[in-house]
Amino acid sequence: MSAEVTKILSALENGDRQAASQLLPLVYDELRKLATHRMSSERASHSLQPTALVHEAYLRLVGPGNATSWDGRAHFFAAAAEAMRRILIDNARHRGREKRGGNRLQLELHDEHSSMVQTQAEDLLSLDEALTQLEKEDQQLAKLVELRYFVGMTIDDTAQVLRVSPRTIKRNWAYARAWLKRYMDGKD
Amino acid sequence: MTYLNERSIFLEAIEIDDLNRRTEFVKTICEDNLALCASVQELLAAHESSDCMLDRKLVEGHPIDESAVFSPSQSQSFVATQHVGMLVGSFRLMEKIGEGGFGLVFVAQQEHPVKRKVALKIIKPGTGSKEVVARFELERQALAMMDHPNISRVFDAGVTEDGRPFFVMELVRGLPITEYCDNYQLNLEDRVRLFQDVCSAVQHAHQKGVIHRDLKPSNVMVTLHDDKAIVKVIDFGVAKAIGDDLTERTIYTRFYSMIGTPLYMSPEQAQMSGLDVDTRSDIYSLGVMLYELLAGTTPFERERLCSAGFDEMRLIIREEEPPLPSHRVSTLGNRLTIIADARQIQPSRLHSAMRGDLDWIVMKALEKDRNRRYESAAALASDLRRFLNQQPIDARPPSAVYQLAKFTRRHRKSLLTLCMLAASLLLGTIVSLWQMLAAIRESDQKDAALRKAIAAEKQATEARQEVEQFANRLTQANLLLTNGQMHAESELWSSALEEFTQATELQPSYYLPWVVRGQFYARLYMWKESAEDYQRALNLGAPVDEPQWIGVTSLFQVMGYQSEFEHLQAKYFAILKELNSRPKWNVLRSVLIAPSEEQDVGLAQLAQNWLDQNVPPPHLRRPPRGFAGDFQRAERLPPIECEYICGLAFLRAGRHSEAVRWLRSAAAREWPARGLVDAPLAIALEQEGKSSEARELLNHSKLRIQDWMDQAMDIDSINRKLPWFYLAEAIAVHREATYQLLGTRVDSQPQIAALRTAAIRKLDAMAK
Repeated sequence: MSAEVTKILSALENGDRQAASQLLPLVYDELRKLATHRMSSERASHSLQPTALVHEAYLRLVGPGNATSWDGRAHFFAAAAEAMRRILIDNARHRGREKRGGNRLQLELHDEHSSMVQTQAEDLLSLDEALTQLEKEDQQLAKLVELRYFVGMTIDDTAQVLRVSPRTIKRNWAYARAWLKRYMDGKD
Repeated sequence: MTYLNERSIFLEAIEIDDLNRRTEFVKTICEDNLALCASVQELLAAHESSDCMLDRKLVEGHPIDESAVFSPSQSQSFVATQHVGMLVGSFRLMEKIGEGGFGLVFVAQQEHPVKRKVALKIIKPGTGSKEVVARFELERQALAMMDHPNISRVFDAGVTEDGRPFFVMELVRGLPITEYCDNYQLNLEDRVRLFQDVCSAVQHAHQKGVIHRDLKPSNVMVTLHDDKAIVKVIDFGVAKAIGDDLTERTIYTRFYSMIGTPLYMSPEQAQMSGLDVDTRSDIYSLGVMLYELLAGTTPFERERLCSAGFDEMRLIIREEEPPLPSHRVSTLGNRLTIIADARQIQPSRLHSAMRGDLDWIVMKALEKDRNRRYESAAALASDLRRFLNQQPIDARPPSAVYQLAKFTRRHRKSLLTLCMLAASLLLGTIVSLWQMLAAIRESDQKDAALRKAIAAEKQATEARQEVEQFANRLTQANLLLTNGQMHAESELWSSALEEFTQATELQPSYYLPWVVRGQFYARLYMWKESAEDYQRALNLGAPVDEPQWIGVTSLFQVMGYQSEFEHLQAKYFAILKELNSRPKWNVLRSVLIAPSEEQDVGLAQLAQNWLDQNVPPPHLRRPPRGFAGDFQRAERLPPIECEYICGLAFLRAGRHSEAVRWLRSAAAREWPARGLVDAPLAIALEQEGKSSEARELLNHSKLRIQDWMDQAMDIDSINRKLPWFYLAEAIAVHREATYQLLGTRVDSQPQIAALRTAAIRKLDAMAK
């Protein structure tokens, strides 16, 4: 597994764009597995810290000793951000179905006393919708939001992944944030 | 930065902290695009909202830290309320009484050692840098040293736990000086007296090495103590101490953080070039305040400065000379009465009360060049005292020399251009005059003008190489001209024109191509183009008594080139005056085709001498085509034509009987240009009282000219017809005669235009 991801990352570094599509499922599966595990074992705090999760996934998939360049890491985190978004959105959908009397879910971020989590699930879905719209306007902005919000990356790390200056990240983040907020408020 | 979309506008707008100004900014940028404006405003509202799910960490719900950094004003609305009740040092913050770009001012309660209310100024959260704090430490020492009844005391200063510097100052409850003076209707003298106290306070601070940097009425308060008005200058040095300077922010933030004060800002501050601001900037601000106290308005209108763009505003402050206060009040219109009332003076007297001393005192404080302002606040106060005591003041109206110097400084660029232009014109004139004289003396004019053209070229390029190229081009141009003339002789008009035009393009600073093409155009009756080319050649200093110039005065006259006509005529007069006895008939006729003041009997005598010396009397002439004497080839004219010119000269000299005699002689026989004679003869006869004969001749003249024109329409026979200049001369003189006899103006332009159109059509056909 680990070797496979490393191989993909180096292919990406060498400009093989196809490799990206192979990377995402691997990262997704790993993150999902981790999240499920984390939720069940840390049920009491019901906390899901995406940053920790993604870093853990990175360590497991690529390995600490692997001399991957930042370029490779950037690809990894970009994929991880998208994976994380999918996981959380999928989860929120499940919750929505459950609320409407759907089947019991298999997963997992759920616990009993979480009306807050319930609200958050709805927020997440509307955010996802807004983000999908934003993606149409500017893919880079949507990627920024994924990294910042779903992975919880810092300004500086985001700047490195997206290869722009921290100042630009700050400004773009301010814009994306306002844009999404306006969109979501408009839907209410 | 382009403001094409909501994103870029948004990103600029969030750099502006003040929400009102931010809204203004967006409105200004979006102009009429209301939809864009609305959508940006929505974005900004969303930006300001503290309730956004993106600020909360996923699942956990904590705001993401960084968001606070790039949304500085997000918290502003609750910053103030947050502060109220807060303990800063031993001071408890109460109500907020002021807010600047970086600072907040609160009324604070001090509990011990004394229980009193103070003013506490603290910088906004997130705006303090290490540098700011370091500077602040330096300043607080200076501030503590100030002790003056007209300066609000600084009790304490410190740094809060979160590293924000603050000042504790004497709480001044009062009115800004301008409001106070208006509310209490102080007259001009009382205003000046009160203002002396302001100067005194500023002088004290300056002596302690503290510069205010932000003097304005709201920082100069007046309080009443036992009915006595006391001036208190507040916020001394605070601007610098808390780093409220304008260097570290983006341009728009600077613009908007400065908008509150640019009215009182000195040119060197407005420049923001990092030029050190010194005590003289305060003097300037004092000048603005004095101006406002006297005239009721600031030197530059508030509305105007605020509506100007950032750069324009700075330009106004730096460059524009404000009107004198006395002059200003006379342009106030409706506001004058209110302003005069507040000063207990008749509106009509306000102007004269300020004119003179007060004008000059204010203007000296407002000098753009700080070296010319009062050297200190004390000096300003002294001059004010001298004014109150009716003593002569120091400030004087600027001398004419100084005003000129200032004018020069303001209009540096345009003046430089003008000077260069003037210098080159002058040089050009000198060169061409010199060239002309030299040319006449040496009678080697071609050579001289060539040298002039080379000189002009050399001057323009200042390079030897260019001269060589010039020579090359000259050879090429001459070749083109020769070819063109050959083609013209063979009636291959369009080829000829092409070659002449190439020559003008190759050698535009040399007169010859223009002359040749001008003459070519003239022959084709394209007089519009011809006059343009001759004009060009004339300006390039071409020698004008060459055969190619025969008829050009007529051309200029007919085509309405009045100044060129006069210019050329003057040249010809000069030539005639220098002349020896050798006849120059064509030069002479050139000055005679229209009346002028310089035409006197001398010219007529000259003409007669030429005739007497060189033309045999009629009975000795050899018919049919004898030529007069041993003239230069160019000047060989049939004697009969010389008689016509002689008659014209007498006509211009006012000797009408002689004119009639010569002209009748010229009209006695038929010769190719016989049609020229009728019009001048008609004028002379009219002057002699022979009106009916004159009118008859005028009619003949008209018919002959019409005949000439009709013939001229046939372009193919041009080479076999009468030269073009006879027609131009005939038209010019005929027009004059018609006006003299009938009082009507002949408009030949349609016919001239028709000739031109025919020629162009022919040329086009040939080109194909």
